[in-house]
Amino acid sequence: MADIGPIHLTLLMGRQIVAPTPQPVTDALLSAQVTVTAGQRSGFQLAFDLTKNGIIQQALLPAGAFDPQVRVVLMATVAGTPHVLMDGVITRQEVGISGAPGQSTLTVTGEDLTVLMDLVENTGVPFPAMGPAARCAAIIAKYAQYGIVPLVIPELIPQTPMPTERIDFQKGTDLAYLNALAKANGYTFYLDPGPAPGVSKAYWGPEVRLGVPQPAINVNMDHLSTVDQMTFGFDGSAREQPSVRIQIPVTKTDVLLPVPEVSVLRPPLALRPAPALKKTVIDDTAKKDAPTALAESIAKAVETSDAVSGSGQLDVVRHGHVLRPRELVGVRGAGITYDGLYFVKSVTHNLKPGSYTQNFTLAREGLISLLPNVIP
Amino acid sequence: MTSPLDAIPAPSKYPRTSRYFASDQLEHNGIPHLRPRLLPSPDSFVTIAVYEVRAGDRADVLAFRQFGDAEQWWRIADANPVLDPRELTDTPGRTLRITLPEGVPGTAG
Repeated sequence: MADIGPIHLTLLMGRQIVAPTPQPVTDALLSAQVTVTAGQRSGFQLAFDLTKNGIIQQALLPAGAFDPQVRVVLMATVAGTPHVLMDGVITRQEVGISGAPGQSTLTVTGEDLTVLMDLVENTGVPFPAMGPAARCAAIIAKYAQYGIVPLVIPELIPQTPMPTERIDFQKGTDLAYLNALAKANGYTFYLDPGPAPGVSKAYWGPEVRLGVPQPAINVNMDHLSTVDQMTFGFDGSAREQPSVRIQIPVTKTDVLLPVPEVSVLRPPLALRPAPALKKTVIDDTAKKDAPTALAESIAKAVETSDAVSGSGQLDVVRHGHVLRPRELVGVRGAGITYDGLYFVKSVTHNLKPGSYTQNFTLAREGLISLLPNVIP
Repeated sequence: MTSPLDAIPAPSKYPRTSRYFASDQLEHNGIPHLRPRLLPSPDSFVTIAVYEVRAGDRADVLAFRQFGDAEQWWRIADANPVLDPRELTDTPGRTLRITLPEGVPGTAG
């Protein structure tokens, strides 16, 4: 793929240690798509031109350079600033051979490095006297060879059990267990690639709805617009008010636990949060201890708190910046109700020769901005 | 109840495009300051273009033409090691390396 204006794409591949790909491979790249969603694993798809006598068809493909479990790092340098878009492994390879010249393609699909945590079942590994955060740190530390650096935030409600009372055992693969622990605490687990190629940060903690927002998305602002169109939605049935009952082991009586405020995990972004129309009861909490049940109730409240969503497509050259997922961004020009700060829920990067577009989804918990103005 | 949000490391005060983005923020006698930035070795950059300076050139105009962002002139100054950015365009005929950012590899072969 040729350089498009101020955008430069760098592709690195290798078994475990990545190295720059040869120039013919970079030239053969037809398109790249990277999907990053908060709370889910990221995926990528690369399409290469597969000419009959090219280096890919003749040497690299038979030698296994595009086999599953080959590591791929994709970087985009936009306006002089590097962004690592993906650090993952190939999981699937597809070859389409066509009689028409220039129509044969090699398509590789893959997922981020969490796929390596999902390969081996480690059911039954004991974690005596370790709370969820300590367990996560111990699991993530096993993947240091892939340049994964843990960033584990302690859980909101400490749940370190007495080893004489209960010892927690791992269920399923490392990734499944990390995600289950995150879900039970209202946290997320994801890998954030960068800042250097081959390094990623394994984050286990609450969604980061803090910090300096990214350059604002402008819509319907004449020549200052950076996005042509945006769609917003306000889903009344999204938010739920969970309630949780536990049984006191000694007296055998049940107690309704008070659900703590969501804002301890999520600083509010909107002035008028959506009302919780649904009242739900969390199942199977009677036999759990109070901290675990409480953590589950706040997790459920946090999970369903985003009632307002926005989506659209932006052109990176026009916007001037790469929109980063799982960070805050400002929206201007959408009217009093929908202006303000949003959390970037998902971003799909579409790179083709001559274009770099991003489809994005934004989310927050209600209407009307909390801030008097949005930083442009 | 302490909030787990306090445990999240504080984000950088500088935008991602700034050369101080990853700098440590220190404090001396109550005055906040940044750690002095050491220039990276010029050998660690990958050249993508060579530019010959003409009379009247300016580093920020050059950065806008090459990268699309005038504030990125410091990347040109890093790759053609100068301490004063005016040295870059002082001498017409001087050749400047336009490079990828530090740490971004080029292609093999």
